[in-house]
Amino acid sequence: MSHKQEYRIRLVSKEFLNSDTCYLGFECPDIANSAIPGQFVNISAGTVFLKRPFGIASVDKDIGRFYIGVKVVGKGTSEIAGFESGMMVDCLGPLGNGFDLEDYDNVILTGGGTGVFPINFAYETLSAQGRNVVVCEGFRNASQVILNKPSYILTTDCGDTGIKGTVIAGLDTISIDDYGKTLVCCVGPVPMMKAVNAWCADKGIKCLVSMEQRMACGAGICLCCTVKVKDDGPEGYKNVRCCKEGPVFDGGEVVW
Amino acid sequence: MSTSINVNVGNVSLKSPLILASGTCNFGRELSEYYDLSLLGGISSKGLTIKPRAGNPGVRVAECDSGMLNSVGLQNPGVQYFIENDLDFMKESGAAVIVNVAGHSYEDYIDMVMTLDPHKDKIDALEINLSCPNVKEGCMTIGSDPAAIKLITSKLRSLTDLPLWIKLTPNVTDIKATALAAQDGGADAVVLINTLMGMRIDIKTRRPVLTNNTGGYSGPAVKPVAIRMVAECSQVLDIPIVGCGGISDYKDVIEFMIAGASAVEIGTACLVHPALPVKITEDLENYCTSNNIELKDLTGTLQRW
Repeated sequence: MSHKQEYRIRLVSKEFLNSDTCYLGFECPDIANSAIPGQFVNISAGTVFLKRPFGIASVDKDIGRFYIGVKVVGKGTSEIAGFESGMMVDCLGPLGNGFDLEDYDNVILTGGGTGVFPINFAYETLSAQGRNVVVCEGFRNASQVILNKPSYILTTDCGDTGIKGTVIAGLDTISIDDYGKTLVCCVGPVPMMKAVNAWCADKGIKCLVSMEQRMACGAGICLCCTVKVKDDGPEGYKNVRCCKEGPVFDGGEVVW
Repeated sequence: MSTSINVNVGNVSLKSPLILASGTCNFGRELSEYYDLSLLGGISSKGLTIKPRAGNPGVRVAECDSGMLNSVGLQNPGVQYFIENDLDFMKESGAAVIVNVAGHSYEDYIDMVMTLDPHKDKIDALEINLSCPNVKEGCMTIGSDPAAIKLITSKLRSLTDLPLWIKLTPNVTDIKATALAAQDGGADAVVLINTLMGMRIDIKTRRPVLTNNTGGYSGPAVKPVAIRMVAECSQVLDIPIVGCGGISDYKDVIEFMIAGASAVEIGTACLVHPALPVKITEDLENYCTSNNIELKDLTGTLQRW
């Protein structure tokens, strides 16, 4: 039986997308060839103790590379953003369950903040398959906009670019022929995912969300990163592992 | 002369001193994706209770310098589910099966042992968790009081022939007193140490990082505390010690054994490097070959000043 392994991989590219967010490329053919959108990697972060989880933002199977986006929010992400090309890091992945994108005629991808990274991977995958896909991304303001394409619906909280409002304002502009054959995938802050899930539930559209929780192992063994989901038992909910049962969940199953 | 890394904890023979620590390996299934579990000395199950526990809400992990705090709160599927779904997997893994037993009251521990005893053909030892800092009652409350430890251990002793390993908390003034109480109650071994109780605070919100406010500190930072406690207890105990706390490489294993441990548990380091036991096992074998020694001969060889 072949076992999963912890990879020692090389950082091969780094570019800053704005003042606090960078885009890193790593050489690892195994991960590039096997990852699906919504999955993540756990990467060693310099001097801090635990690895840090990042949704995979893109893969290039031809040259065996995968990409992640890193927004500096603390010591670990600060150290990773400071890595130089050529550096070696320890990496586990691809981890978790990705988006099941089959069986739908139309897919709407929506996200905000660093959620746009896994959304980008899903967009590239669906585009390559020639699928009908619409992307709607939301940011606080124009200076935060990253990985945006002209074909995307863009919203900002302050309205200094794109539609003024949250991604809900953007989603409202999409004309949808058949709710039953439409899938929405959402990655972003919890309030955004909660609102998008409610928007979908109202229309009877299936909504997948990618949950985020403080994580330790990423491998399903420590039970630190749990997410509350509905359950038939006496308590009405159960805690499941974001890293193993997730990070992608049916939005209708999450206890928001 | 051939060398080996076999060890014994009382009557329990282990092919290696490495046991996966409770709460850091679930029941072994996830780590079996990374390596063959049969190379391990043993696996200590996630802490089990009579009824399923959802565990603590909110943030359960807070990173610290050289380690982490956790407040998982003994999330587990309950002992009956474990027996029906996980015990056979552990038995078939080829590693010794250590079942970690937790509870909120004396009655809980008694019920647990009576529930597990009929399955003794699949269990190598019961690890009685008198030390979890993340639940409000039982565990560490009982495990801080020598009289209570002796009472519960002797009661459990009368209920089963399975080896009883008592896992103790370091959150006490005198670890020798609690370890001796376990021995007096009839324990077959003590496991030293569970996590150190700690807290981290978000200075922006002035709230604890953990929603449970406090958690258990584990990782390399706690190793010197654990080594000291193993060395102290080794001087007064007649029963074996399983060392636990901050092990990250083969030299840590040897340090624990010199201090007095017959075997060790490894946990937090595997959260960072899941296949680490493979490397440590190879390194221990090489160490024994290079030094032409049997690993078990190291136990308690500390030369004090």
